Amino acid sequence: MSKQHTTNQQIDQQINSLARDKSPDRDLWQGIEFAIVNQSAQQSIAKEPIGAKPKPHKVRQYLAIAASICILGFIGVIAIYQYPSMRAQSLVATLSAEHQKQKQALLISFKDATAVTNNWQQQLDDLDEAETAIKQALKEAPNNQALLKMLKQVYEQQLAIIEKVHAPAWQHI
Amino acid sequence: MTSTKTNIHKLPSTQPQQVESLTDSELNNAIEQAKKGNVDAFKVLYKQYLKMVYGLCFRLCADKSQAEDATQEVFIQLWQKIHNFDDRSKFSTWLHSVASNVCISYIRKQKSWWQNMFSMNDETNHQQQYSGEINADAFEAMVLRLPERTRIVFVLHAIEGYRHEQVASMLSIAPNTSKVQFHRARTLLEEWVNE
Repeated sequence: MSKQHTTNQQIDQQINSLARDKSPDRDLWQGIEFAIVNQSAQQSIAKEPIGAKPKPHKVRQYLAIAASICILGFIGVIAIYQYPSMRAQSLVATLSAEHQKQKQALLISFKDATAVTNNWQQQLDDLDEAETAIKQALKEAPNNQALLKMLKQVYEQQLAIIEKVHAPAWQHI
Repeated sequence: MTSTKTNIHKLPSTQPQQVESLTDSELNNAIEQAKKGNVDAFKVLYKQYLKMVYGLCFRLCADKSQAEDATQEVFIQLWQKIHNFDDRSKFSTWLHSVASNVCISYIRKQKSWWQNMFSMNDETNHQQQYSGEINADAFEAMVLRLPERTRIVFVLHAIEGYRHEQVASMLSIAPNTSKVQFHRARTLLEEWVNE
């Protein structure tokens, strides 16, 4: 009882003495400013008269995003529901090749846009590693539909990251 | 259990602990200007509250990189919501609440899909041991080692001073669940302190 009381006191003391404030290692303002200024710019564009033509590079970006989602979704549906009738490895290869095409198209469409975070490439690399691991697992268990779903989700997440860091949601508000 | 309940009453108040170096007048001016879309005024608020927001995000995320991203998200959301602020509460209190909600939402979005898919164990590594006196750094490291849900409840209730009802509302859980998670956190911390 006495020991527990002491421990509790020790924990309470530590809680009360914890420094609430902390400083980040990097400057965060740049990204914030970029986002809020862009957001304001987007709101101005939204206020343009109906019928005003959007900028060509924006159209390309939106088309690329829409195409990515449609194609990946289509392949995903095939992968999930038609899987038993397809050869597993060829399906994975198709899914993989199509994803690479879409990823490159998306990256090209955003090549002139500035990313709002610095670590997005690292996130893509992490997902690349996940992709490799899942593909390896699929070689061992080619009929595992859960793995196939996971692979599809990795691809979707990669495209979402590319889109999110270059055309964040707040820009669309 | 009794001692845990007793300790709850000794916890800090719900007011976030923020030392404000701006005068009230300067702060109000910055808020009003930021509401009108003045980015420079908003930067004044950013500088004033960065450490508070980052400190909160860091403890909730338990990861520097995620905490930095979450902090950015908080200020971006703040820019969008600042016109909702009225003088009924202190700005730092209101911002603290916004920051907590945005950060929790950020963590939910960021939680990797494969953690869900693989149902990876949320438990943290219990192998690390602390010998001798527990200093502030070691204690903070223990808090960061807590399992995610347990940690978030503990941080919000014990460190940031929110009531269980408030924590429950933020996390969309029952108040009793919040209490259970808090008790679990205390139990784990007691174990680790005594290791």
